[in-house]
Amino acid sequence: MEILVADRLIKDFGGLRVLNEASLTVTEGTITGLVGPNGSGKTTFFNVLYGLLKPDGGSIHFRGEPITGLPPYRIYRKGMALGFQIPRLISRLTVLDNLLLAVRQEDGTGLGTALFARRHWQEKEKGLTYKAREILELVELAPLALKPAGELSGGQRKLLEIGRALMADPVMLLLDEPAAGVNPVLGRKIYATLERLQREKGLTFLVIEHRLEMLLDFAHYVYLMDAGRIVLAGKPAEVIAHPDFYTIYAGESYQWLS
Amino acid sequence: MDPLFYIADTLVFAGIFALLTLSLNLEYGFTGLGNFGKVAFFMAGAYTYAVMASAHMPCYLCLIGAGLAAGLIGFLITFPVLRLREDYLAIVTLSFGEILRITIKAQEGIAGGVQGIVVPGAFAPFTDSVRLLALANIGLVLFCLLFTFLLVQLLTHSPYGRILRGIREDETAMQAIGKNTVIYKAGALATGSVIAGVAGGLFAQYISFIDPYMFLPLVTFFVWIMLILGGPGNNWGALLGGLTVELINRGTRIAKDYLSLPVDPNNLQFILFGMLIILFLLYRPQGLLPEGPVKTAARKEVLRWRSSLPTGS
Repeated sequence: MEILVADRLIKDFGGLRVLNEASLTVTEGTITGLVGPNGSGKTTFFNVLYGLLKPDGGSIHFRGEPITGLPPYRIYRKGMALGFQIPRLISRLTVLDNLLLAVRQEDGTGLGTALFARRHWQEKEKGLTYKAREILELVELAPLALKPAGELSGGQRKLLEIGRALMADPVMLLLDEPAAGVNPVLGRKIYATLERLQREKGLTFLVIEHRLEMLLDFAHYVYLMDAGRIVLAGKPAEVIAHPDFYTIYAGESYQWLS
Repeated sequence: MDPLFYIADTLVFAGIFALLTLSLNLEYGFTGLGNFGKVAFFMAGAYTYAVMASAHMPCYLCLIGAGLAAGLIGFLITFPVLRLREDYLAIVTLSFGEILRITIKAQEGIAGGVQGIVVPGAFAPFTDSVRLLALANIGLVLFCLLFTFLLVQLLTHSPYGRILRGIREDETAMQAIGKNTVIYKAGALATGSVIAGVAGGLFAQYISFIDPYMFLPLVTFFVWIMLILGGPGNNWGALLGGLTVELINRGTRIAKDYLSLPVDPNNLQFILFGMLIILFLLYRPQGLLPEGPVKTAARKEVLRWRSSLPTGS
């Protein structure tokens, strides 16, 4: 069943058409990859899907509901989460606080409840720390829980960004290069974790990825983007076997992959 | 004059300015909203208090009215610009303060206009003793300050306060994790304006006569100096900043009579404050008391289990 359907999305920046009737469908419970040369519009595609940018045309449906033009906080509440390409953490707050901020319906986030339901949210928050701990152990940041996020290294920030997206119990995650800037072993580990979440909890992932071997090993479906539109789609092995894939994206030196 | 009275006067003013600093701290220190029209909400509170007290309403009602009026105005003025970049908020609040002051100055009909308005003292009917009056005023201001301090302390060490700090650092990221940031910014500004309004009410009650010339933009800048010195993002710092700046303010007024300077001694405090601001912004932007972590049950819980980890840091 499709969980996310983007239909002929258009986005213009001034005179430049960055998305030119880009369409894609993500099936529930899969890892779907989005590849394309730099400047082909992948990140803009994500920003439009997630409501950070308003599309100039086309429609988006998430779990059957139209979400075109909704602000990101409402899309988030519907169960989609976004991991930015460059992690956007709250650097002066602790790693723990960064996770707690991402809880979808946390108690005590209103002006009134923060003051008058104090005991209630304190109790709930105590419970949330167990979940935070689980996620921190998953991304190997548990010892750093009380460090300001700004003191983390680049790779650790990337991991925390993914952890934060998981904290909300989303049904679908959009991840912009989840393994960029981390060493190959950790990168594979991140993907193995995503795959486990997909298998065990049925989460859906849409990932932008440049490492073809990751896509071959972990993705169920791949879209190739070029100049603002989807030009190829199919199973990773099929897409990689297609001659256009090399002329548009990978270059001849990668021919050995097929 | 009785020197005790001068000390009492200093305390009352330090308390009123500490209230203003706490309110700016909630807006700027925690939420990152540059409110450059603090004096407008202070003034709105003072005038609301004056008008209500002139209608023989009891002191506590007038104070509540002052807070609510300022809060409502704060909400109405700032809500339209909260979706825009933050510089617009600074421009709108700064100009609103001047608009309010000039309007009241120009309109005879509004609360005495340029001639000002006499505010009946809350304690005057009960005693003639100057010392008792001073004591009562100190008590009232300190009570309001304590209450407000507890309120902002509880608010900033809660999930709500955590979100405010998040908005200060990266608003887009907060939207991406499900927070309707406009509502939070409006809430912080309205709460800050309520506090400033109460401070205005206390001010009007204490000095018993107000006119538009008391509400120059200088008041706003004083509050900013207090916050920058004290430590944005730290409520204790806001208290300390309020007290320190008020003491420097009074101290320089006395000192100038005993010092021989190459400059006009009346400018001494402005020179001093200008230098302090520059030095603090350059060398200690976190202020006297730097911001601490968000203290909630979660932090305690993690402190507990972290100690059992092999590689704690």
